[in-house]
Amino acid sequence: MSEAIAKARAGRAWWVPAVWGALLLAACLGMGALEGLFRWVEPDSRAVIYARADFLTLLGRHLLVVGVAALAAVAIGVGAAVAVTRRAGRDFLPLVAQLASIGQTFPPVAVLALAVPVLGFGTLPIIVALLLYGLLPIVRNTLAGIEGIDPGVREAARGMGMTGGQLLRQVELPLAAPVILAGIRTSVTINIATAAIGATVGASNLGDPIISGIVNGNTAYVLQGALLIGLLALTVDSVFARLQPAGPR
Amino acid sequence: MPEETPRPNIVLWSLLLAALPAWLGLDAVSVAPNRIVPGSGHSAAEVAGLPGLVASLVPALAVLWLAWRPTRERLRLALGLVVAMLAALPAWLALAAAELVDPALPQARMGIGGGVWVGLFLLLLALIELRTRLTLSRPLGWALLLVPLASLALCLSLWLEPLALRREYAGRSQQFLAAIGEHLLLVGSAVGLSLVIGVGLALAMRRWPRARELGFAVLNFLQTIPSLALFGLLLAPLAWLSARVDWLAALGVSGIGWAPALLALVGYSLLPMVRNTYVALEEVDPGVVDAARGMGMSRGQVFRQVRLPLALPVILEGIRITSVQAIGLTAVAALIGAGGLGTFIFQGLGQAAMDLVLLGALPILVMALAADALLGALTDLLRPGGAT
Amino acid sequence: MIDLIHVTKRFGATTAVDDISLSVAQGELCVLVGTSGCGKSTTLRMINRLIEHSDGEIHIDGQQIRAFREETLRRRMGYAIQSTGLFPHWTVARNIGLVPRLLKWPQARIRERVEELMTLLGLPVSEFADKYPRQLSGGQAQRVGVARALAADPDILLMDEPFGALDPITRETLQEELRALQGRLHKTIVFVTHDMDEALRLADRLVVMDQGRIKQQGHPLELLREPADAFVESLLGGEDRGLKEAALLPVSERMLPLSPRLLARERVAHDASLREALSIMLWRHAERLTVVDDEDLPIGELSLRRLVGAKAHE
Repeated sequence: MSEAIAKARAGRAWWVPAVWGALLLAACLGMGALEGLFRWVEPDSRAVIYARADFLTLLGRHLLVVGVAALAAVAIGVGAAVAVTRRAGRDFLPLVAQLASIGQTFPPVAVLALAVPVLGFGTLPIIVALLLYGLLPIVRNTLAGIEGIDPGVREAARGMGMTGGQLLRQVELPLAAPVILAGIRTSVTINIATAAIGATVGASNLGDPIISGIVNGNTAYVLQGALLIGLLALTVDSVFARLQPAGPR
Repeated sequence: MPEETPRPNIVLWSLLLAALPAWLGLDAVSVAPNRIVPGSGHSAAEVAGLPGLVASLVPALAVLWLAWRPTRERLRLALGLVVAMLAALPAWLALAAAELVDPALPQARMGIGGGVWVGLFLLLLALIELRTRLTLSRPLGWALLLVPLASLALCLSLWLEPLALRREYAGRSQQFLAAIGEHLLLVGSAVGLSLVIGVGLALAMRRWPRARELGFAVLNFLQTIPSLALFGLLLAPLAWLSARVDWLAALGVSGIGWAPALLALVGYSLLPMVRNTYVALEEVDPGVVDAARGMGMSRGQVFRQVRLPLALPVILEGIRITSVQAIGLTAVAALIGAGGLGTFIFQGLGQAAMDLVLLGALPILVMALAADALLGALTDLLRPGGAT
Repeated sequence: MIDLIHVTKRFGATTAVDDISLSVAQGELCVLVGTSGCGKSTTLRMINRLIEHSDGEIHIDGQQIRAFREETLRRRMGYAIQSTGLFPHWTVARNIGLVPRLLKWPQARIRERVEELMTLLGLPVSEFADKYPRQLSGGQAQRVGVARALAADPDILLMDEPFGALDPITRETLQEELRALQGRLHKTIVFVTHDMDEALRLADRLVVMDQGRIKQQGHPLELLREPADAFVESLLGGEDRGLKEAALLPVSERMLPLSPRLLARERVAHDASLREALSIMLWRHAERLTVVDDEDLPIGELSLRRLVGAKAHE
């Protein structure tokens, strides 16, 4: 019965990200069709549709930066959290846990700004900054997920003769998965926003139209960029909402 | 009973063994004759010569030795050494400035290099590790930082005039103070407004449960929109409003400036505020409420004397999350002309003046950490029976 | 079967288990009992090496347990604990099949074994196989836990307060079922509890522990009749010992053949305990009971004098 409910929920929910995604694509491809609207917003400017790069390219770059950073952050973050919860790495657990929690009070903009003097302008520094900042919620949630497992479950697993690897793969990671996924969701949501600000340090992505619109006083550009970033964030977030099991276990 | 010899603290070993090559190998400082020319790097050895370098290594090696058999007393000693090293860092920079910067050039400046940054970072990690191992309270941990901070303040005011960061500050000290004021004002009013609105919304959701789902859905939606986009989306309608409604324009509302910033900040702050207030009021132990009602307290009395005091720490937690978040978001608001410390960041990025970026970013970082620590301490204080 | 020879466990400066020696024979149900912190759980967990012993030797079937790989050793023993430790993300059937799967049994054999065990433990396959642990009651979850421990048909079963969190009625039912199961399967069981009634009800061999040492061990009746010291005596219930002993003895032990007198009106089953017989006498104000067999036919009688008197001269 519960499976039927789960299926119904799945059936209901997949179209949500699909709709957001379709809107996003439509907005990328068909921004020109809204020229009349933007002309009304910005009657004085010569150009009202951002044309320095086409929106699909900007979207692609945005996704690339966030995606690469997210993949690396998941690999490193989950790996680190798993390492410090093993017997050999236990000594590092308090420090890593504290670092992850203190680090999250750092504003992402400040991290991005501090990355530039160290790493320079361009796409790579932004990826590194996003990766570093994105690690924190992933590490924190993976730790919480693994440490939150009922000690009796772990005890039983070992008492039944599971090896360390079997315990990790068959018990700990599956049980911690929802919490880890929530961490990845937080990480990606923040990074989509931070990447947009990265347009000010030389990454060309969906933040570009906004920055250029603000600099040139062209509200139409700002609106176009804001619309696309908003749609991108909602699309990605709704995918995560779909992946996440409903309610706590 | 013989006390067992503790295993070596491999965390301290790893941190210090990572710090040593950074200190020895990376540029410790860079010196430039003026703001335009890129600086030339100098290693730690160049600053105080070989004896100075050896002297700087002694405390680090001592900590390594102490961490090999980390009994409580030895760890306490190590903590003292780490604090001393942190306190010595500004003095060392002062020495480097005296040594390397030509006093004849009024614009000559010294930047802090990778070696010092990495060393500082790893020493702070060592401090956290030692605080955890010695199970010192959080406030005590912060208090330990006062020693290096006092040393920094002293060195900055007396000897560190050539430090690039200080030169940038000297050029715009009035603007800097104004920016801090703007930043705090924006954060303060956003948190204050969202507290009033948020508590009101949470109470409304408790009264009309059907509004709850919709309310949280809307707030979640808002929280998902990236800050830059939300600022941008507010630009057009606010500009339109101020062009048509005179009294709004008279108030200073326009598409750019404080108005969209404040609106967006309040929008972002509402979710954590409402969620915490709602959860706090909802999750007061039903047994306690039951007992209070059973003893004849009225609904109002239960709310004022039982629910609210018990919920207060969780609500404060909401204020803490909101404040930290707002401090960061206000930096972004500088892009739409709201002022604040973010102005320096974006100016600095525009001019490729990294020390100006630091002048904006470092205070923001300090503000966020301070807000987190202070509000966290206050929460612990308000929790019945003290910190958990 | 299981031999502990001068086994000691130290944690840092504290000694949790202090030089204990214990032999559990094949098919025996050995209960370790004592107050919390007496070292009984530590002792149990040293047998499957969840805790490594510091000194002494532990043998299984005459072989040192350190001769085995930890995992191999554990897969040879069943293990059931108070919190059940069922994997919340696996169905009941998958939980029970855990160890066979670790031992790489073929799928069909695992399925067959799981269904056999579910039937054995009173969990109808069609109803429970696809349920998740959170959908079970405490008693059902514990049955699944025991089934999982039995899955690979181990000779040895280690049970750490498995019924500790259950309500008294469910606990008693499961205790009876465990005894019945033991009668059929003849496993060697080491069972840890702090509940003396449970210990007396289950044990073939009762081991009383205190502060890491074994105070006394033997058949429950031996301990009841001759407690080694005041500690064991108070743990066994002090003045209550008479009732506890009576609970362990069947009516048939004190029954006299039917006398030519009139049959007493009140009846008691021949396999009831003396304690139950005493209770019937108290409740019914009767000094004499007729003992009946399984078919409810009179086979003897029991008098109050006989019930208490016979005990006195033993």
